[in-house]
Amino acid sequence: MADYQEAPLATRPKTLDPNEYFNVSTDQRRVEQSRAALRAELKRQYQTQLNNPHRKELIEDPALTRWVYARANPYTYFRPTFKTSLLGAMFGVVPLFALYFIFKTDRDRKEAQIKAGTLERKFSLSS
Amino acid sequence: MRTCQSVRQQQPVNMAGVGFRRWAVALSKGKGPGISGLLSGCRAASGVTKDSGLGPYPKTPEERAAAAKKYNMTVEDYEPYPDNGEGYGDYPKLPERSQHERDPWYQWDHPDLRRNWGEPMHWHFDAYIRNRVDTSPSPVSWSSMCKQLFGFLGFMLFMFYVGEKMPAYQAVAPKQYPYNDLYLERGGDPEKQPEEVKHYEI
Repeated sequence: MADYQEAPLATRPKTLDPNEYFNVSTDQRRVEQSRAALRAELKRQYQTQLNNPHRKELIEDPALTRWVYARANPYTYFRPTFKTSLLGAMFGVVPLFALYFIFKTDRDRKEAQIKAGTLERKFSLSS
Repeated sequence: MRTCQSVRQQQPVNMAGVGFRRWAVALSKGKGPGISGLLSGCRAASGVTKDSGLGPYPKTPEERAAAAKKYNMTVEDYEPYPDNGEGYGDYPKLPERSQHERDPWYQWDHPDLRRNWGEPMHWHFDAYIRNRVDTSPSPVSWSSMCKQLFGFLGFMLFMFYVGEKMPAYQAVAPKQYPYNDLYLERGGDPEKQPEEVKHYEI
C-alpha cells in the first residue's frame, strides 16, 4: 500500500492519506477527536429520530434550514462596496444600455441599406 | 406554540385601539417571519429563529466560537467568508469540493447527496451535487485542456475564414451543348444552315 497511486479522476481518500498516520501531533489528534465527537453527536441525533417508532413527521435538518435561509437572505448583510457596486452595474445596468445601442445601430444600418436598395438579399438561412 | 410579547398592566383603555395600534406598529417593523408574524403581532416558534439564522460577520473570538457551535463545526475548521458586503454574513467557507469527490462506499445518511444529517452545507451545495459541477481531478491539467480546446476551435475558425476569403475550387467552364448549341431545339429555322459551333481544338 505504500506505493498506492489514486485513479486519474479521484482524489486520495482520507483513510489512505499518509499524513493521517505518520507525523501526527497531539494537537491534530485532539482536533480530529473533537471533529469525530461532533459527527458522532449528529449521527446519534439522526439515528434516534430515524428509529423512533412513534415518529410520524419528517426529520427536520437544521443545517438545511440554515442553508436555505442564508441563500434566501443575502441582502440582510449586503453592503454597497466598490466591488459589489461594480458587479451590480456590470450585470444589471451595462447590458441594458449596451444591447439597446447594439441592436438599434444594427437595425438602423439595415433599414438605411434597405431604403437605399443596397442590402444584399441572399438566400442563405443564417442571415 | 405561540409566545406573545409582555402583558400590559390593567388600564382602562380601549383594548381594541391598543391592539390595533400595536399590530400596526409591528406590521410596519416587520417583526417575525411569515403571515403569522404580520397578522397577530406574535410570531410562530417554527422556522428559523433569530439566533439560528444567518448572523453578522463574527469579529471577536467569542463570536467565532458561537458561530462555529451554531454550524456544528470545530472552531479550527470554522472560517467565515471575508466581510466584503457580499451578503454571506457568518456562513462558513467550506472547501470548494463537489459531492463527486466524497467516498462512494461510506454509509452516508443521504446516499445520493453523499451527506450526513446536520453536516454544514456548502454555500454552493446545489451546484456541487452529483448531477452538476464536478471538481474531481482531471487527467490533464486545466491549462492544457483549455489550450487544446480553444486552440482547435481557433484553428478551425481561422481556416474557415481563410476559405471564405480565398475559395479554391475545380476550374469550370460554361456548359457546352451539342448540335450547334441546340440550334433546332432552340427554335432555329430548319431550312437555314446554322453556323458551325466547334467546342474542340485539335
